[in-house]
Parts: sequence; C-alpha cells; structure tokens
Amino acid sequence: MNVNVGDVVPSFVRQTEFANWNRYAAVNDEFVPIHMDDEAGAAAGNGGAFGMGNLQWAYLHNMLRDWMGPNGTILTMEVQFRSINHKNQIVSAKGVVTAVDGDVVTLDVWTEQQEGTKLAPGTATVRIPA
Amino acid sequence: MPDTYLVPEVLAATGRAVSTATSYPVSASDIRKWALAVYYPAQPPQYFIDTQYAPEDFDPFAWGPKSHESFLPGDDSGIWHRHGINQRALGFPEWKFIVSMNAGMKVEYGVRMQVGDVITDVKSCGQYTERQGRNGLMLISQSISTWTNQRGELVKRTTNSGISY
Repeated sequence: MNVNVGDVVPSFVRQTEFANWNRYAAVNDEFVPIHMDDEAGAAAGNGGAFGMGNLQWAYLHNMLRDWMGPNGTILTMEVQFRSINHKNQIVSAKGVVTAVDGDVVTLDVWTEQQEGTKLAPGTATVRIPA
Repeated sequence: MPDTYLVPEVLAATGRAVSTATSYPVSASDIRKWALAVYYPAQPPQYFIDTQYAPEDFDPFAWGPKSHESFLPGDDSGIWHRHGINQRALGFPEWKFIVSMNAGMKVEYGVRMQVGDVITDVKSCGQYTERQGRNGLMLISQSISTWTNQRGELVKRTTNSGISY
C-alpha cells in the first residue's frame, strides 16, 4: 500500500440514533440514561439523548481499518470530545495523512456532523506493512 | 464552588493505583457482537466474523468482570467503577458538580486481544488540574487504565480525561 502525506482516508459515515447507540451500549457497558432517554438527555442540558464519545472513537477505528485492510495495525489514537453527537446527525469519521516514516503513518483524524462541525478531533498513528 | 479543587487529597492521588479487574475469556461471539454493533447498520468485515483476533477497541469487560478488587482501604462498597474512579474512597471532598463529561481519551495499543485471552485491568489516577471556564472553576481529572493479557503483555494503556464543574 503506497501512502503519502496529504492522502485522504475514505470516510466512514453513519446516521446516528438509538438503533446505533443501544447496540453500542450493549458491547461497551454504556447503559447510561443520557444516551438512552430523551428526558434524561434534556435534563442534562443537551436537548435530548445524545451519542457516546466512545462510539465516535469506534467509528474512527472503523475508518482506519477499512482503509488499511486486515494487515494494518492501529498503534495510537488520541481525541478530544468537543461537541455533542445529537440524534439523527450524520456523523463522518475522516482522516488525512500528515507524516510517513517507513511503515508508520501519522494522521489527523476527526468526526464531524453533516454541517461540518467537528465533534471529536485528534491524531492517530498506524503501521501499514509494505 | 470551592476556591480550588487541588486540595492535598487530590494532589496526593496522582499516580496511585486504585483497582484491578479481570475479564472472562474473550470469545468469538463477543467479537462478532462488538463488530455488529459498531458497523451497524452495515455488516462488519468478514474478518471480524471469522476472526481469532479482536479489534483494537474491543471491550472484554462490557458485561462486567469475572472478578474485581479495590486497592483503596476506604472502598468497601463492592461496586466496580467501570468507567471511573471512586473519588470518595480517595478522600476527595464531596463536591456537587453540575456537569461531568468525557473530555477525551488517548490510547497506546500493544498486542491484539484474541479468542481465549483473559485481560487484567489496573486502574490508576492520572494528573489533576483545574482551569477557569465560562461556567466557573473546572476540575480536569485523568484516569489511566492498563490492560495486560494472561502472558503479561501490554494490550493497551488508556488515559481518559474528564471535566467537572
């Protein structure tokens, strides 16, 4: 796989709602009312239930894996959860290559909603065998 | 709201190991369910259906640990603090926060988890800092979770950051 600085990783895109969040709650122990109940989310000042930061994290991993294929490895990732993922938003996990050092690739990664607001920006390093 | 959150009990907690937990053995079914959830509504890649190896962000503790233990003398609740740290048992003042939120995470991955692995989590306190924000003084706390497998190999080290005010 030939990788160069500036390469754009194909996006991983999902419309997010209870169907996504409830499934993720079951595999990450996130049965938290603010993610499962509009009244609880509103009471917390967010207008309604909202998505888990960890699911954004999972979408970023999916994006990298789909790009690298099964032989690639994620070495590190770091993100900040800056904005709420509201119900029915279309969330895109995106990435762009910022450095290549042998088989180790550094990327800027982020999730954003359909209007382009970044939800969770960060960085990642991956190993992609030649 | 206090003048500072960085009281002696908080400052003394940095670096302190607070608890450990051990998972049930990772199963192929666990991995398939994880993949179906995070790729929903699309089907996950076939290599997560037939796989021996778990993805990096797979969670073997999703339905609770096989066993857990607190290292804190004041923690006799028997409750497993899955995503956080029992600050009361550390002697922190009982601040009444209006908001506590997940601010970010940082992970260094080691070896892949695979079917049959038993994962041990050791949780410790990271750094505590404070900052003045629009809503007043905020406490920024880190918890560090280190996972190893039954061979003692590092699986991942996660630093979670939280903001409370």
